[in-house]
Formats: sequence, C-alpha cells, structure tokens
Amino acid sequence: MSNNKKYWTSVEELKGNSIVEKLSKQEFPKEIPTDAFLGDKETLASSSTSRRDFLKYVGFTTAAASLAACEGPVIKTIPYVVKPNDIIPGVADYYATSIADGFDFASVLVKVREGRPIKIGPNLEAKTNNQTNARVQASVLSLYDNNRLKKSSKDYATFDKEVKATFDKIKNSDKKIVFLTGTMASPSTDKLLTEFTTQYPNTEHVIYDAVSETAALDAFQEMYGSRVLPNYNFAKANVIVSIGADFLGDWQGGGFESGYAKNKAPKNGKMSKHIQFESNLTLTGANADQRFALKPSKQIFALINLYNKVTGQSLPSRATSQDKAIKNAATQIKSVGSKAVVVTGIQNKNAQLIVLALNNFLQSEALDVVNTKNVRQGDDTKVAQLIADMKAGKVGAIITHQTNPAYTLNDFTNAVKKVPLNIAFSISSTETTKLAKYVNATPHYLESWGDVNMQKGQYNLIQPTINKLFDTRQFQEALLSWTENTSTYYNYLKNSWTSILNGQSWNNVLHNGTFNINQIEAEEITTVNNIDLNAVAFALARNKSNKLELALYTKVGLGDGQQANNPWLQELPDPITRTSWDNYLLISRVDAEKLELKNWIVDNGAMNGSLVDVSVGGKTLKNVPVYIQPGQAVGSVGLAYGYGRIEGMQEEMQTGVNAYLFVNTTGNVNITKVEGEHKFACVQTHHTMMGRDELVNETSLSDFINKPKKEWNKEPKFSIDHQEVSIDQAALWETFDDSIGTKFNLAIDLATCTACASCVIACHAENNVPVVGKQEIRLSRDMHWLRIDRYYTSDMTNKKGKEEGIFGSGKFFNAQELPQDQPEVSFQPVMCMHCNNAPCESVCPVAATSHGRQGQNQMAYNRCVGTRYCANNCPYRVRRFNWFKYSENSAFNFNMNNDLGRMVLNPDVVVRSRGVMEKCSMCIQMTQETILQAKKEGRPVKTDEFSVACVDACSTGAMTFGDVNNPEDKITKIVKDKRTFKLLEFIGTKPNVVYQLKVRNS
Amino acid sequence: MTQFNSFQKLTQLLFVFLFVFSVSLFSQDGDATNGKKLFKANCIACHKLDKKVLGPPLKGITLKRDRKWLHAWIKDNITLQKTDKLAKQVFEEGNKLPMQPFPQLSEKDIEDILAYTDDKPKEKKEVTKKQTTETQTVDPIVAKGKKIFKANCIACHKLNKKVLGPALFGITDKRDRDWLHKWIKDNNALRKSGDALAKQVFEEHNKMPMNAFPQLSEEDIDAMLAYFKVGDVKKTIVGTKSTEEVKEEGSSVWITWLVAIVVIALLVYMLLVSKNGFLKIMAIIALILIITYFLFNWLMSIGIDQNYQPIQPIAFSHKIHAGDNKIDCQYCHSSAKHSKTSGVPTANVCMNCHKSISEVAEDTKVGDLGKKELDQEIQKIYDAVGWDSENFKYIENYEVKAIQWVRVHNLPDFAYYNHSQHVTVAGISCQKCHGPVEEMDEMYQFSPLTMAWCIDCHKDTEVNKDNKFYTKIHEELSKKYNLEKVTIADLGGKECAKCHY
Repeated sequence: MSNNKKYWTSVEELKGNSIVEKLSKQEFPKEIPTDAFLGDKETLASSSTSRRDFLKYVGFTTAAASLAACEGPVIKTIPYVVKPNDIIPGVADYYATSIADGFDFASVLVKVREGRPIKIGPNLEAKTNNQTNARVQASVLSLYDNNRLKKSSKDYATFDKEVKATFDKIKNSDKKIVFLTGTMASPSTDKLLTEFTTQYPNTEHVIYDAVSETAALDAFQEMYGSRVLPNYNFAKANVIVSIGADFLGDWQGGGFESGYAKNKAPKNGKMSKHIQFESNLTLTGANADQRFALKPSKQIFALINLYNKVTGQSLPSRATSQDKAIKNAATQIKSVGSKAVVVTGIQNKNAQLIVLALNNFLQSEALDVVNTKNVRQGDDTKVAQLIADMKAGKVGAIITHQTNPAYTLNDFTNAVKKVPLNIAFSISSTETTKLAKYVNATPHYLESWGDVNMQKGQYNLIQPTINKLFDTRQFQEALLSWTENTSTYYNYLKNSWTSILNGQSWNNVLHNGTFNINQIEAEEITTVNNIDLNAVAFALARNKSNKLELALYTKVGLGDGQQANNPWLQELPDPITRTSWDNYLLISRVDAEKLELKNWIVDNGAMNGSLVDVSVGGKTLKNVPVYIQPGQAVGSVGLAYGYGRIEGMQEEMQTGVNAYLFVNTTGNVNITKVEGEHKFACVQTHHTMMGRDELVNETSLSDFINKPKKEWNKEPKFSIDHQEVSIDQAALWETFDDSIGTKFNLAIDLATCTACASCVIACHAENNVPVVGKQEIRLSRDMHWLRIDRYYTSDMTNKKGKEEGIFGSGKFFNAQELPQDQPEVSFQPVMCMHCNNAPCESVCPVAATSHGRQGQNQMAYNRCVGTRYCANNCPYRVRRFNWFKYSENSAFNFNMNNDLGRMVLNPDVVVRSRGVMEKCSMCIQMTQETILQAKKEGRPVKTDEFSVACVDACSTGAMTFGDVNNPEDKITKIVKDKRTFKLLEFIGTKPNVVYQLKVRNS
Repeated sequence: MTQFNSFQKLTQLLFVFLFVFSVSLFSQDGDATNGKKLFKANCIACHKLDKKVLGPPLKGITLKRDRKWLHAWIKDNITLQKTDKLAKQVFEEGNKLPMQPFPQLSEKDIEDILAYTDDKPKEKKEVTKKQTTETQTVDPIVAKGKKIFKANCIACHKLNKKVLGPALFGITDKRDRDWLHKWIKDNNALRKSGDALAKQVFEEHNKMPMNAFPQLSEEDIDAMLAYFKVGDVKKTIVGTKSTEEVKEEGSSVWITWLVAIVVIALLVYMLLVSKNGFLKIMAIIALILIITYFLFNWLMSIGIDQNYQPIQPIAFSHKIHAGDNKIDCQYCHSSAKHSKTSGVPTANVCMNCHKSISEVAEDTKVGDLGKKELDQEIQKIYDAVGWDSENFKYIENYEVKAIQWVRVHNLPDFAYYNHSQHVTVAGISCQKCHGPVEEMDEMYQFSPLTMAWCIDCHKDTEVNKDNKFYTKIHEELSKKYNLEKVTIADLGGKECAKCHY
C-alpha cells in the first residue's frame, strides 16, 4: 500500500456515531411502518380476505371503472372573446408572402385556418419564382418545430443596452463590427445595414452561402460587371447541354423546372433535347435525354472540348472518355444555334467564364443577363478574409444571421473564439448559437415582416400569417433598436418601399405578395467584357485529376440542412436513391467492387450497407455508410450536405454525417472499409422493371413521330374464349354508369414530371399523413400516400437473354434485377389509382372501402377493422396501414406527438387511429369544398376549378386534375391523348388515374 | 319414434318460448308503431313524450285522463271546452294556448297514438304550473306609449334605470310637458335656442347628444309621457305545486309486467325446478337471448347523447333570446351560413345588445333563477370582455377572459359536417336538427345525431333544382333513370367518403 490515508464520508463517521454505524448496515433506521397501511400483523393473519379475494376486488373495480368510462367526456368549446373581423371559424384565409431563408426563395400562398398557417402553396400572382419545392412546402412544419428557440438569452432592453455599449467601444478602436449573414436580398434590410454603418463606420457586411455559387457570381461580374446570377429560361432552348449542373435541383438557387418542362413533352413533333454530363446521378441527369457519367475533374476538360468543338477554336485542354458524346453534343448545339444553351455546375470561376462565353458566342436565347437573380450573393473570398481577420483579432464583434457557420464553415469555431462580442440571430439552437455570447431568437418567416428582391425588377413582400408564437425578435427589429430608430419594422418597411412602389398601392402589393417593375430600360442591358479565354483555359487545364474524386451535392429533402429538424423532410425518400433519414457515400459499382463494399438486402426486405472512413485532404469522416449508385461516374464518390447536425436537434433527427467538412477541400479521396454495417431506410430496393414494360411506358421521339400508336403505346387486349372483347365484357364487375355528374380523373405526364417530390410533401401536409421514423420505414411501413417510383433500365433484355440462352432461367431473372452501370431512369408517381373496378373493394369484409359516383375509391376509416385484405389485393401497392397510433405516442416522437407540431394538422381531415387502412382520397376534402362553394354561389363548377394538393404543388404542370364529364376541362383532352396509358391496364381495373408516357429525344 | 317425439316437443317448446319472448318484448303491439308515425305527423310540433314543450308531455297521459275524454279532446278540444270543466281547466293551465282540433283522426288512429304515448310511463310526476295574471288593466294610450318607447327610445333609455340616457319613469313630474315635447322633437335646436335647462341636461349627461325625433306626433309623445307616468304594469306570479299520484291500473303496463313475471317464472321453473335437461338447455338459450337483446340495445346506445343537457357556465336562455325576443339564430351563430361550424357566438356579439341590456325584466325566470341571479349572469359577459356597466365603456387594458361553454352537439372527428351546406344551400331551418331551441331555456341535444338519422334525411330530401349547380345533373338523372324526385342520395349523398375523410 502506497497510501495509508483513511477516508471518511462524514464527520459523524469519524466520531463513531452509532446511527451512522446502524445506517451502514441497514438502509432504514426504523422498520418500515407497513402496519399503517396494511393493518397490524394479527389482523392481517386473521383476515378473511385472501389473495384471491383481493384480486377479485381489483378485477371488479377495474371493470366498474371501465364501464363508468363509457360515458362521454365533457368537451369545452371556447369562442373568441372578441372575434377578429377577417376570421370565420372553419373557413380558410389565404395570405401571399415569400420565403427567403438564404437557400430557398419563392413567392408563396399560405392557407391559414383560425389563425394557424397549415399549408404552403405557390403564389400564382407572381409570374416568376413561384415554384414551391419540397422544402418550401414543408417549411410550414418548421414553424411549429418544438425545438425552436423560445426566447432570447436576455430581455431585449438589457440585451441592446449591453450590445450597444460594446459597439460604442469598438467604434473608438481599430477593430470592426462584422455582420455575417446568408443571402437575404432584402432592400429594407440593406438600407438598415447602411444606416447602421453610418452610425458605426467600421462595420462590414459579409454574405456567406453555405452551398456557395461564388464561382458563377464572380464569373458573371468579370464578364458583365455586376455580381449577380444570370437567369436561364430553358423554355427557349431546344438543345440543353449541362456539364455538372443540377439545374432541376438547387443549382444557382433552383426554380428552373417549369421552364425546362415546357419543351419536354413533344408538341407538333418537336421537343427539347437535353444532354447531361455529370458524376453523381442527379435529378437533372435522371431526366436527361442522354446522360454521360464523367468525374468532376474531367468535366472541366469536357467543357473546354465542347467550347472548342462549337466555336472551332483550340483552347488548351485534355482528352476525356466522353469526347465522342461531346462531339455529338457540339453538333446538336451547332444545328440549332441560338436555340441552344450550355450550363455548368463546376465550382470554378474559369469554367463559369467559359460557359458564359460559349452562350454568348451562341447568342443563346435562353441565357437572360437582364433579369438577373439575387438569390445567391455569398462571396467566398470575403468569407476567407473574415476568418483570417477573426484569427488575427481584427474583429471586435460578429453578428450572425440566417447562417450557421459553426456547422458549415471550417475554422469558424476556432476563429470566433478570438472575437470578444459574438451575437447570433437564429430560429433554433445551433452550433453557432452555442458559441455566441448573446443569442437572439428570431421568428419564422411566417411570423415576420420583410421584403425580398429575388430577381431584377421583381419585389416580394413577406408578411406574418400568425402571431409570434414565442418571445422572438426579428433581425431588422434589433437593427432598428441599435440605430436608435423608434419606428416599428412594419412602418420602416412601408416607408422604405415608397420608392419601389412609385405610387402603386401598398395594400394591393401586400395582397398580391409581389410587385414587378416591368420596364427594364434599354441602357441597362449590360455590355460584355472581353475575356482572355486562352488564359482561362490554360489555368483550367492545370487542374489535376485524382484517382477518386468527391462531388458534394444537395438533396431535394434537406437541401443545405437548415430544416434538418423537419420530420417530413427527413422521411422524404430521395427521388434517386429512394432512401430516407440518411446521407451516404454514393459510389459506382466498379469502385465498390474494388474496395469490397457492398449493399445487401436482409431478411425483412430492408437494405444494409458497408461502412467506410472517408478522408480528403487530411480531414476524415468516420463511419460513413456506402450506397452503390448505378450511374455514378467511376472514380467519383458523392456525399450530400445538410446532415450530421446535432445541436438543437431532436434525437430522432440527428442523422447522417456532416459533408460540410469537405467544402473547398481538394485532393484524392481515401476510403477505408471499417467494421460494421449500416441500416438504410430504403423504400424501393428493387431497381428495375425486370422486363415488365406495362409499368412505365416510354418511347423515343422518332418512334413517336414515325410509327403508329399501337407500336409504342399498345392498348391491352381482353379475350373470352379466344375472342377479343371489350374490357367491360371481360370484367368480373358490372359497369357503373358514370356519365352523369362529376367524374374525377388525374393525369400525370411522365415526360414533364421531374420527380422533385414537392407533391409528396404537399400530400403530407394536406392529408395529415403521419411520419413513422426510420425503423418503421425499414419494415416497409412508410405512410406516404403518394410515392415516386424510380426504375433503372437493365442490360438484360429478353432478346439478349435468348441470345445467351439463359432466357426463362433463374440466371436470367437475376441478371434482369441488376441495373446497368449507366442506366436510363424513369420516374412514376404512384398514388391510389381509384379504379372503377377496384380489387380492394370486393375483398373488404366490412365494406369500409367503396366506390363513389365521382370516381373516387373511398376509404371510411371508422368502418375499417384492419384485416388488410384490401392492401393484399391492391395491384398498385398504394394502401397504407396504421400499424401504430402515430399521434400522441411517444414512440413516434415527431410533430404529431407535441401540441405545437399538431397545430399544422388540417382540421378538415381526420387523424387516423391505430389499426385502420388509409390511402390517397383524391383530396376529397378539397373537391367537396369546391363543390360546396359552387352550390353556395348557385352556379355550376367552373372549368378547371377542381384541384388536389399534389396538382397544386406541381411546378412543371405534369399533373392535371379535373372532371372528365366536363368537355371544357383540360383533363378531358388529356385522357384521350395518344400518349395516355393506364398503369397495369391489362388486369382490367380501369383506373381513374392516367399517365402520359415519356418521350425520350435520344 | 322417440326421436320424432323429442323433435316435436322441441319445436313446440321453441314456439312457446318464442311467443312468450316476443310478447314480452313487443307487448305494446303494432299499434304503437303506427301511433308513433301519427304522433310524428300530427303532434310533434307542440308535444313531446317526456318534456313539456308548447303542450304538456304526453307520456302516460292515459293514466292521468280518461280515454273517452282524451278522444273527445283530441278530436275537437274547443267544442269540448264549452261543456267540459276539465277541458276548461287544461286550457287555463296551458296558458290558454288553444290546441288545434284533429277531426281527421279516426278512433283507431287515436288509440294508436295513445298506445304509443303509453310506452314506459313514469310512475310519479311532479308538475309545476305557473299562472300569470295581470292584476291591472292597461290603458290603451299607455300601451301605445309603451310601443313607441320600445321602438324609439329603448336603445338609450330605460324606465327605471339610468343607462346611456336618464331613467324616464316619472319624468313628467320633473319636467314640464311642453319642454319635453320640444326636447324630444329636436333637443339640439332647443339647446341652440338658448334654453338653459336643455343646456344643463346636456352637460349633466357627459355632452352625449340625443337623437332628434321629428317624426313623432304630439299624440305619440303624449302617449309616451302617459306611459312614463304610469310605468310598467306589474305582473304577479302564482305558482302552484302539486304532486299527482300515477295510477297503477295502467292496462298495458300491467300486462307487460304480468308477461314479464310469467316469463321469469317460466324460466326459473325450467332452470331450477324442472328435471328435464332439455328444458334447462332451452331456458339457458332463452336467457342468453334475452340478455343479448338488452345488452345489444344498451351497447348501441353508447355514444348517443340525445337529450344531453350540460350545465353551461352562463345560464343563457335560448327561450328568452330566440323565443321571446325572436332574435334570428344566425344573428349570433353567424358562421353557420359560411362555414362548417355554426360558431359559438363570441362575447363581442353578446355586447352588441348587452351594452344597453344590463338586467332582465322584473318577472323573468329561467328554471330556479330569478331576476337577481339572472342579472348576475349578464354580469359574467361583462367580466369576460371588461365592460364597465356603470360608466358605459370598456375598461382599458383589461385582460379578457374566455367563456368556456360546454359543447352540446359533438360529432366524432371522423364525421365531417358542414353547416353552410345545410343552412345556405339546402335552406334547412335550424330547428329541423336542433329542435325547438326557441323554447329551450337550457340547450339540449334534440336529435340523436346518429348516422342512420343523417342517412334517413339524405334519402328522402330532394335537391333544389333551382340552384344552378343542380340544374343539369337533376335534369340528366331524372331523365336517365326516370326519377320523379332526385334526392341527395341519388347524387351520392349516401357515399361513405362524402362525410368521412
């Protein structure tokens, strides 16, 4: 024993007090007074109440209590004391506002019931930027996020007093005050910041986009003089060549899909041709007519080669594996001249310059340098300078707003420690607020005033649609207070808009949510600066290729990750990988085999995958799951932003790994396989159609033009006794006359559907669809009423199988299951088909599902007993079973488990309970409302008045809904179109949902 | 042979049992069913079985009155009153509200109705009768004055209390007639003419200008002044309370009990005394059937809250508002025509009237509550909104308190109901579902609100083809299916998802 010290736990022990001794032997100093509640031992022994009797009493009282519970509860109804004039309980109000969270910008229309926003839709008053993607649709749930900051770190008076005192000190020092914000594009905020700068001259405003477009901004500045993004109107392009630009995703702020879709369906035998060169398989690549995989470093050379081929110049470059395709693309471009456009997503100013030069050479009509976009303004050079300044101790105060640099920006955490005053404005607790001295809780955009100038000439207003839920303060309100301005932000905003409105009515603009200054004066059209492209290309050609390169990307679900605590977005399956609740390292089959990485299906049908450590440029991410992605360029891996956040996140939502670690990191990617496996929540593990051409029909443009319909859109034949008969004769059911009254049909055009998944979230919001969590998804118990199936093509066709002599054997089927390395991709949104001859209806033992006169297959939840026969008999697999009670259940701790999150529920749609089946209702609550409105006004329903949630959300117009008994409705023409087919038509279900086949211009 | 015998025995027994069982269950026979129909067709406007509405409750009326008398009364109660003393008394008791004669009902019909009303009579009944008699006769001039007062002045004046304007009872003693005439006609002109008294009155009442009433004639004003002199005629309430014993000799009840006792005795005999095993089995089956029947009925009644009448936080009387004062239902329930909910009136709607009505009339009674209690109930609205009834203004910065009403009509979440569809489109009166609300002091659930009840109406109700929404479909449907009338059900009003989504 090296140590002979004795330790006592208390002084009493040292003194040898008896009670302590006693306590050390026995926990309770006295015997527990059981007599007090059990009676003394004697009575207990002589009691005639045996254990059995006791149990009987317990049983009786339980039964009595439960019988007494049969009486209904007393329900209170509490009206307003003073009712606001514009609210009628039970009737929705709509407000036009805008989302501008630094990543998503859109003009939206908000549905408000009894003062609660419950649904976001596109604001069709706005001519541009009115497309609502999945994140915009889901943003209403982020308002009711239980993890939001509910108050600021100090009361605002003290907050401002202390902050201002520090500002004054900094003013008289050589340090500076820095505002680090995301892109706000807000004229009034800019004005406020200018006023602040007048008061504190040593102020700097640095704009930082986590997912940066600095290269494109800098290139545009160099060529056209202003640091904005050019606009692209793809509707004006007949040939689109994209080199690494995911323009149907979030490339340069997104929002290009509606223009793109205008030429994607053949009109008079003409449609656009889209050629994509990319490394990760993106939505844009999946929608392209031709797609070529090319790893990031090679894309640069491909771009220069394309430039050389089109212009006939010979800028320095190198050969790539896809030069043949590049040559072909150049021919296509040259054949249409100004009707072509080239875009690129390469984050390199020189590459962006070449693209601008190429489009300029072509005089491309699609490139719009006048109506430029302001939705990305981040400047990486300035951000890097700021980090250096912070480290050097030159920054006295940093104020962050609409950004989370501690999560997205390497080095920020270290650098900010040198800044004496750190103020964070944030809606929720983040990595950045954790470091801040003062935290100001900000309201959600649905609780705020504001303005945004998304593109030149277009101004949008942001107005509150609900009272502030918490004790929050807007960034602008703080600025007003710091500049000793006593005006409210609303008044300030209104005043600062006087110059923008130029005499127009404020109320009118507020009602419309948007204001356009149409006349862009002629002299504003910018002149093009001359660029020495040779030097540019020379700089580019010096780029080194690596063996394995990393391409970071954003997913349609989480985007840059600011809404990562939103369960709708977490559960939204990625349209390409069909996987939710995760990000993962995308890798090609070839590379995976080399590294012995695998994905495999386990017994319950779920997918598991290998884990790897990824390191680039000395930085390492541990335990990253691997997803083998068909179409991934060999020699490249992909990783999505937005995941891996922990601070301020609910435990269930802490998913994936943080890809921001690798931003601006170049070098070879080193992958080491590690022990263990990852469990994916993948909703579609089957990749191909296995030769069943009845699922997703598609054809080529030449066949579509030159061959008769029966060649490319076969109608199924029905026969009895080998005699061909009509479908009605062959059907088991009697036909139902539906020629009178309203008859709903829904059409989905596979040619223009980009699989953006906005409809999936819209359906979630409209129909109170529950979130079930990763574990349940793994058990194939996802609840989405609307899914978007994704199919890859396979190498193994019937013809090839016959040639190889394996046709019909197990080997053949196994080969069919494997997608090609460079597959073509087809998407197909599938919801309930509302069959006229519905197989589900005839097997329900309690008639809980039945057919309506208007064509809807109706599901009465209260009648359902949960046999699930209907789901078994449904050929489309669209019925969803409530395996659990998903609301008010702590095992499913998502929005329906807290009071705040439940505020998003649509009061017109019931929340389903455990043990019942549910499915798409064709938004019957919306069609009924339309009908009721017409009845109240005593008029027939207007042409194209009917709508449903998914159709409203669709930005490309791929979905159409209407009454086929009304010859004026758009749908009536579509159902008769020659591209129209029905899913699995040959089984005779006669669906009321129709598809229009995809035409590929390949 | 034995086999056959036992089979025969079994059938016999089964028949006996079924007969007894059915008698026990349907002792009121087929007449009652017809009676119910007739009752619904003829009487339901004024009578209910177990509740006094316009007319007295009719359950077990045969126990109280002689059958012959009832026949005569129903056929023509007015003629009967001329000769019969009891009839006269009944007439008086029912506030002299004459009942419509029903000469078209046959003897059989009336018997059927009585059979229906006999269903489960109550054993004892406490009847409280109120009689209101006017102790003074009213001068027609005073009555005219009262009418004019109510039409013109009541918004700001009361007889006995200062509201916005001063109390007017006995004003004629204080002011001279000519001055009053001038004041009422145009008080502004009077003030401008330099009348000192007029100016003083104006100052005294916070410089609140009064409307001019040039339209009132000299006679009108005199009549009003006469009314101010006399005031309201006092009414006295004479209440009598009597407990009437219900006679046990009620014939059908007697039979029911007898049959029930016989059945029970039979069952007890079969089960306990008889040694025949077969009988025992039959008895057990019978018992199970009887229990199942009653259990089923009981279970089916769960969740049906017909006649649910919770106590509300404010003793609000629909009778006073919708009945006596004839306020339109949709004045308060204003969202019924626009929305799915009818809307519980918000306190600011109450205040539209209750700003000037801070107390009830002298003789108002709601249940056991008299004027004193009811005035306190009105005070509850003021507490909610922060109204200072002394100074006639809202209290500044008052923290309003929500009034927590108890919901009477509760549809489950999975049933979608829209008021505007029924009120605005179909034009159904509120009473069709909510019953005679204008006679209810405390609101209760009149209809069962079961799905069958909804569907029954949807099956029978024709759509209004004058509504342009229905015109086309009405024409097409009636032509194609040769329908005489197109009901809601024909348009799909019976489909599950029209109400369940």
